Amino acid sequence: MSKVLMKGNEAIGEAAIRAGCLNYFAYPITPQSEVAEYLSHRMPEVNGVFLQGESEVAVGYMIFGAAACGARVMTTSSSPGISLMSEALSYIACAQCPAVFVNIMRGGPGLGGILPSQGDYFQATKGGGHGDYRLLVLAPASVQEAVEMVMMAFPLAEKYRNPVMIMGDGLIGQMMEPVFFPDHLKTEQLNTDSWATSGMKIRGSNTRNLVKSLYLDPIQLNNHNLHLKAKYDRMKVEEIRFEPYNIESDYKVLIVSYGTMSRVCRTAIDNLKAEGLEVGMIRPQTLFPFPEATIRDAASKESCQTVISIEMSMGQMVEDVERSVRGRKPVEWYGKCGGEVPTPEEIMEVVHSFVKSARKEQN
Amino acid sequence: MDIQLSGIVIISGNYGSGKTEIAVNLAACRKLQGTDVRIADLDLVNPYFRTREARKQLAELGIEVVLPPEQYMQADLPILSRSISGLIRHPAALTILDVGGNDVGAAVLAALADAFGTKDYQMLQVVNPFRPLTQTIDGAVKMRRDIEKTSKLNVTGLIGNANLIDESTPETILSGYDFIRKLSEETGLPLEFITVPAHLLTALELEHFSCPILPIKRQLVPPWKKLVRLKEF
Repeated sequence: MSKVLMKGNEAIGEAAIRAGCLNYFAYPITPQSEVAEYLSHRMPEVNGVFLQGESEVAVGYMIFGAAACGARVMTTSSSPGISLMSEALSYIACAQCPAVFVNIMRGGPGLGGILPSQGDYFQATKGGGHGDYRLLVLAPASVQEAVEMVMMAFPLAEKYRNPVMIMGDGLIGQMMEPVFFPDHLKTEQLNTDSWATSGMKIRGSNTRNLVKSLYLDPIQLNNHNLHLKAKYDRMKVEEIRFEPYNIESDYKVLIVSYGTMSRVCRTAIDNLKAEGLEVGMIRPQTLFPFPEATIRDAASKESCQTVISIEMSMGQMVEDVERSVRGRKPVEWYGKCGGEVPTPEEIMEVVHSFVKSARKEQN
Repeated sequence: MDIQLSGIVIISGNYGSGKTEIAVNLAACRKLQGTDVRIADLDLVNPYFRTREARKQLAELGIEVVLPPEQYMQADLPILSRSISGLIRHPAALTILDVGGNDVGAAVLAALADAFGTKDYQMLQVVNPFRPLTQTIDGAVKMRRDIEKTSKLNVTGLIGNANLIDESTPETILSGYDFIRKLSEETGLPLEFITVPAHLLTALELEHFSCPILPIKRQLVPPWKKLVRLKEF
């Protein structure tokens, strides 16, 4: 298993190819443009297709078209670009087509900035587009994990016939780390004959398949939504992924943090441990479905006084943390979203200050 | 064996080959040996990693650092400081130009052709055989040709920068050394030096290497890691 040194964006591109994705459409935007740059020369080498759309709106529907034909397909963008693709995401989810969307998040709202952020949590987990749909959302914390999640995303999208989103902050795209591409994550595409518009001859069928997101009959639309809901409920049972850290200790504070932010928290937790203060962490690897029960159980531990959601946003994931903890312990938030990543020292200070105020309240 | 470079030294290579890390460490190393050093950042390709902390350290060492104006540091724009051409016309004992990645990043050098005039320069290609585009001799040669084409300057030497960042082992350095020597033999380009992460120096038999070694103290670190002070060379 030989490793190479890759920038996150390059690794995401290579991972898609290794996963068997030969269709990639995108529109450049910092900080993810290197995915397109990389795949613009790599896709032709493997007889794949790279197409640059005229806008992210166009790309969203190019993805819809390819996915409806039963092709493995991916796009990558960054926050403002994902906003433009959100209409297509809603259509694709309704039409039940598998596709992989990667968001290398930058600071928002609006045009914002080009530095790392986690400000698109709500957009990814609660909608973005209209209607009752969900994305399966994976959040890598390293370049290696980004590789694995991209490779896993295709079979997951096919299993649920639903778009999967990889949420990395700008650092995931821009930083370099050694990676390898696990062969066992390369999967065969699920048979699409029952639904894809791949042509009757190819399928050896006498009936046309129709991919659509229009249901004018209210009863039909309600039934379709119930069917979609059942899929999302199944994700909540089968797809929750998380990583605990220092959770076997008698922690006073429980941190919930994801992506590269969680790596800063890890360093802070190690340093605090050396000082004699135990802090545990749950790192959600799936943002939807959210590891609610795990966080609730971890917060319920007797030693735990406070739960802090630490995110590079102004308090988005904290709402899911509150929902998970259900009032059993106080839930606090700390974050920054201009593009500056909080330092381990900053996190240590935040933890200390919350421990102090918890002590005051007890007295 | 000390690194003997002097005059204008251009650090080029594919992106992610380690140019900035080498430029910064080389500047500090030579300054601490008593050479007058200036360094300029010509990386117009990637405004994402601003090595402000490393640059502050260089300034503390008495190295003149030429950067885009402070107010433009976060801009998603290619900015070339006007003072660069002056720097090329009146170089210090060692003037290091840290160029952006690939042929795209090297294109800026063509824009400075007037300043270069008939000035002597050395353009070194940084090669890390653990990076995708330079894993083969052919790949490294193609990269060199692309850089030469857009920069309108010739590569005059090689820097071996085999590493897997935190996962580098003595084996990484040794196999990388074999690769860069082969590249040097096949291209006829001299191997100016190789790099070794400072913490691995004691794990290697240094007499094995027939070229100078630049110890690297990583400066481009993610926010959860501490950078090593350059002064402690």
